[in-house]
Amino acid sequence: MNTIATTPHRIPIRAVEAPGGLTAWLVEDHSVPVVSLAWCWEGGASLDPPEQVGATAMAAALLTEGAGELRAAEFADALRDSAIGLGFEAQRDGFEGGFRALSTALPEAVRLARLAMAEPRLDADAVERVRARTIVAARQRLETPRGQASLAFWSSAYPDHPVGRPVGGTPESLAAMTVEAIRAAIGRQLRRDGLLIAAAGDITPEALAALLPTLFDGLPAGPPPAAAPLPPFREFGRKVVGFDSPQSTVIFGQPGLAVNDPDWEAAQVVLRILAGGGFSSRLMQAVRVERGLTYGIGAGFDVLFRRAIVVGSVATENARVAETLEVTRAEWARMAAEGPTVAEVEDAVAYLTGSLPLQFTDSRRIAGTLLALQRNRRPIDWLDGRNERLRALTRDGVAAVAGRLLKPDAVSVAVAGRPVGL
Amino acid sequence: MPLVTRRSITIAAAAAATAAAVAAPSSPATAADAAAARDNAGPPVPPGERPLFGAQLWRLPHNGLTVAFVENRRAPVVAQYLFYGVGAGEDPSGRSGVAHFLEHMMFKGSRNVPSGAFSQIVAREGGNDNAFTSRDVTAYFQHVEASRLPLVMRMEADRVAGATLGAEEFEAERQVVLEERRTRTDSNPRARFREAFDAALWGPQHWHGRPIIGWEDEIRAITLDDLRGFYARWYAPENAVLVVAGDVREAEFRRLVEQEYGAIPAREAPRRMRAPAPAAPHEPRLIRRDPGVREAAYARSWMAPTLTAGETKYAYALEVLAHLLGGGQGSRLFKALVETGLAVGAGAGYDSDSLGAGTFSVYATPRREVAPDRLESAADDVLKRLLDEGPTEEEVARSIRQMTAGALLALDSLGAAPRMIGGTLAIGLPIEAVEYWPARLRAVTRAQVAEAARAVLPAAPNTVGWLLPADAPAGSVRG
Repeated sequence: MNTIATTPHRIPIRAVEAPGGLTAWLVEDHSVPVVSLAWCWEGGASLDPPEQVGATAMAAALLTEGAGELRAAEFADALRDSAIGLGFEAQRDGFEGGFRALSTALPEAVRLARLAMAEPRLDADAVERVRARTIVAARQRLETPRGQASLAFWSSAYPDHPVGRPVGGTPESLAAMTVEAIRAAIGRQLRRDGLLIAAAGDITPEALAALLPTLFDGLPAGPPPAAAPLPPFREFGRKVVGFDSPQSTVIFGQPGLAVNDPDWEAAQVVLRILAGGGFSSRLMQAVRVERGLTYGIGAGFDVLFRRAIVVGSVATENARVAETLEVTRAEWARMAAEGPTVAEVEDAVAYLTGSLPLQFTDSRRIAGTLLALQRNRRPIDWLDGRNERLRALTRDGVAAVAGRLLKPDAVSVAVAGRPVGL
Repeated sequence: MPLVTRRSITIAAAAAATAAAVAAPSSPATAADAAAARDNAGPPVPPGERPLFGAQLWRLPHNGLTVAFVENRRAPVVAQYLFYGVGAGEDPSGRSGVAHFLEHMMFKGSRNVPSGAFSQIVAREGGNDNAFTSRDVTAYFQHVEASRLPLVMRMEADRVAGATLGAEEFEAERQVVLEERRTRTDSNPRARFREAFDAALWGPQHWHGRPIIGWEDEIRAITLDDLRGFYARWYAPENAVLVVAGDVREAEFRRLVEQEYGAIPAREAPRRMRAPAPAAPHEPRLIRRDPGVREAAYARSWMAPTLTAGETKYAYALEVLAHLLGGGQGSRLFKALVETGLAVGAGAGYDSDSLGAGTFSVYATPRREVAPDRLESAADDVLKRLLDEGPTEEEVARSIRQMTAGALLALDSLGAAPRMIGGTLAIGLPIEAVEYWPARLRAVTRAQVAEAARAVLPAAPNTVGWLLPADAPAGSVRG
C-alpha cells in the first residue's frame, strides 16, 4: 500500500522475471483495483514493404476484430462486458499493445489479449470494414492544414526511409492491401522475442510472472526483423503545400540527439525553456502572449529508434505566417547564442524534478512511462538519479548544450495553407 | 508532437465519458430549480450500494462556496478544481464567446498574483494547470505535488476575490482567441459543419446553437466591459464548486478551505435561466457542400430532455437507448449500416447530465460508393423498427452491463473524480448523481427505454445534416 506515497522521489520500479525468459518492469500499487499492462516491439510501420504502406497499422486494428472462436462482434462484447480496454498501435518505429482492466477482470483480459495476438481471425468482412475505415481516415487527414503539413514534414525529412511515410497508409496502398500482407505484418512483428513489457497497479510480482508466459505463449520464437537503418534527419529548408484554409499550420524541426547522449537531460532543460509545455516557454511568450500570433506553439523531442529529432508546430492566420516564423527563428537563434538565464534554468529544473509524482497517478500512464524508459534502454534506476542529475546542471553548462543542440539555420519548415509573403 | 490544449474549450460536458446518472429531480426547468431539488430527499440509495468516490460535501457558511473533498492517498499529489456554474450557455445575446474569452483573461492576474504568474508559479512547483469552458461550466484546475496545495488554493482564492481583467493584454488575447477559433473550427471542414449543424437545429442565436468559442464577428465585438460584467455577475463564491482530490487529510483540508476561501465576500449569484427548447428546428435540413471535404458525413439530432430539463424521467433511459442504438459493435446502427457495407462508421450520442434542453444524435459516415439517400433511408428504418417493436430485454441488459462495468476505472485517475463531481454539482444536480450513477442506470427497464424512444425520436424537433464533398453528384440528397 502506498509505496509511492512514502517515497515521492524514489519510484519503486522492480524487474519481474517470468519463466521462459520474459521480463517486465512493475510498479505495484494495490490502492485501486485496476491493472494496466503495456508491451512493445521495435519495428512498426518501418517494417512495411514499400508497396504495403499501412499493413502494420491495419494489422493493429484487426487484432481486436475477432480472434479464436470469437467473431468481431463477440470479441468486442467480451471486452466491453468486462470493461477491458485492449488495444494495439502501429507507430513509426514500433508496435505497442496494452490493456487496462479491473483486477477482477484480469484473467479475462489476459485471455482476450493472448487470443488477439496468437489467433487473430482476419475474417474477410472484418478486413473490409477496417479497410474502409482506414481509407476514410487517411483521406480525412488530407482535409486539414495540420494533416497536410505533417505529411509534408515527414516525407521531406526522411524521403528515403519508411518513417517518412504515413503510418496509417495511403488511400491507394490501403485499397490494394491483401490479407496475406496483413498476415505477414502480424507474423514479422508479433514475436516471443524482442518484447519489452511494463505493468502497473493492483498486481503482485508473482501474479505478473505467472501470467506473462500465458499472454505471449502463442507467438513464434525469435525477434522481429530489424528495420532499415535510420538515416540522419534531412534538412529541407522550407516546403509550402498550397491548401485552401484561413490559417496555415507550420511543422518545424531539426536534428536532435541520441537518447544516450550525455547531454540528454540538459537538452531537455533547453527545450523546456525555449519551447516546452505550458505558458512559461520563450516561444509561447514571444509568439502568443506578446503578439497574439497563435493559440499555441511548442516543440520537443520526438524519438525514433533511440534518436531524437526536435519537432514543433504552430498555426496562424495566413497573413501572419512570415512574422510567426521570423519571431520563432529569432528566439531559436537567441537561445543558441546566449543560452538561458540562471532563473530560467532553476525554474525548468524545478518543474522537471517536481512534476515526477504527477507521472505516477494512473496505472495506464505509469505503464506507458515504464515502457518508454525501456524503449530508450534506460537502466531500471534511471529515475532515482534523475533529479540529482538535473539539479547538478549549471547555467553555463546548459547554455553550452543549447549552442550545440539548436541550429537556427538547420530548422526545416513545412507549411500548409495560403501563407502570405513566403 | 506537442499539442497545446490549455485554456481550451471542451465541447462535451466535463464528465461526458462516464455519463453520470441520477434519478430525476422533479422536472426542474433550470439549474436553480435543480439546486433546490438537491435539498429534497432524492431517490433512495439501493441497499448495499457503495458510493463511487465517497466524497465529503459542505458549504462555507460565510459566502456559500460549495466544497467537495475526496481523499486519495495513492500518490503524493493533489488536484484542485474550481467550477463556476456558468458557461457558454450564459453568453450575453450577440456576444457569444464571452465565457470562453473570460477564461483566457483569468490568467492575466489577480490582486496578489501578477499577469501570467499563476501558471509560471505552478510550473516552478512541478505542477500543471489549465482551464476549460463548456456550455454549462467554466473550470480552472491544477495538479500539484501534495505539499503545494496551500499555494494553489491561495492563488485560486485570489482569483475568485478579484481578477484584474486589465486592458493592456486584452487585444492581444482577442487575437489568440481568434487564432484558436481558426485552429479548432475554421481550418477544419468537419468542425465547420458541426458548428453549422448545431445552429441549424437550435438557431444561431439560441444558447444551444451558438458555438462555445463564439461566432467570429461576435468575438471581434466583445468588449472588456462585457468580460468584467460577466465576471461580476457569475463568478461569485455562491455560484462556484471547489473540488479537491488527493493526498491530504480532511481535517487539514477543511482548515485550509476556511483559511483561503472563507473570507471571500459573499456576492449574490443570479439564477440560470435557459430558454426552453424551441418548438421547431431553425432548419430541418442542412446540406453543406464543402470543397475541403473528401468524405461525406450524415447526422441527425433531436432536442431531448436531460436530468435538468423537460421530461427528466427519460434521461437514464435515453442513455441506454443511445448505447443500444449506436454504441459500437453489436449496436443496431452498427449492424444495419456498417456490417451491411453501407457505412464506414455509425453511432449515437446523448448526454443526460447537462443543463437545460439537450440533444439525442445519430451519425454515420457512408462508404464512398453509397448514395446519401440510401444511407439515410437505412438509418430511418433502424429508428422506425426500434420505435415499432421496442428494444429487447437482452439488448437493454447488455447495454446496461457494458455501460456500468467500468465504473470503478474512474478511481484510476487523479482528475476523474473532481471532473465528474464538479461538473455535476455545478449544474445543480446532487452528488448522488455521481456517487450512485451505476445503480441509477441499472434501474432502467426495457419499458422505460421504449417509452423514452417514443417520446423523443418521432416527436421532438430535429434536424438532418449532410456534409458533402463539392463534387458529390447532384440530386443524391433529399432536398
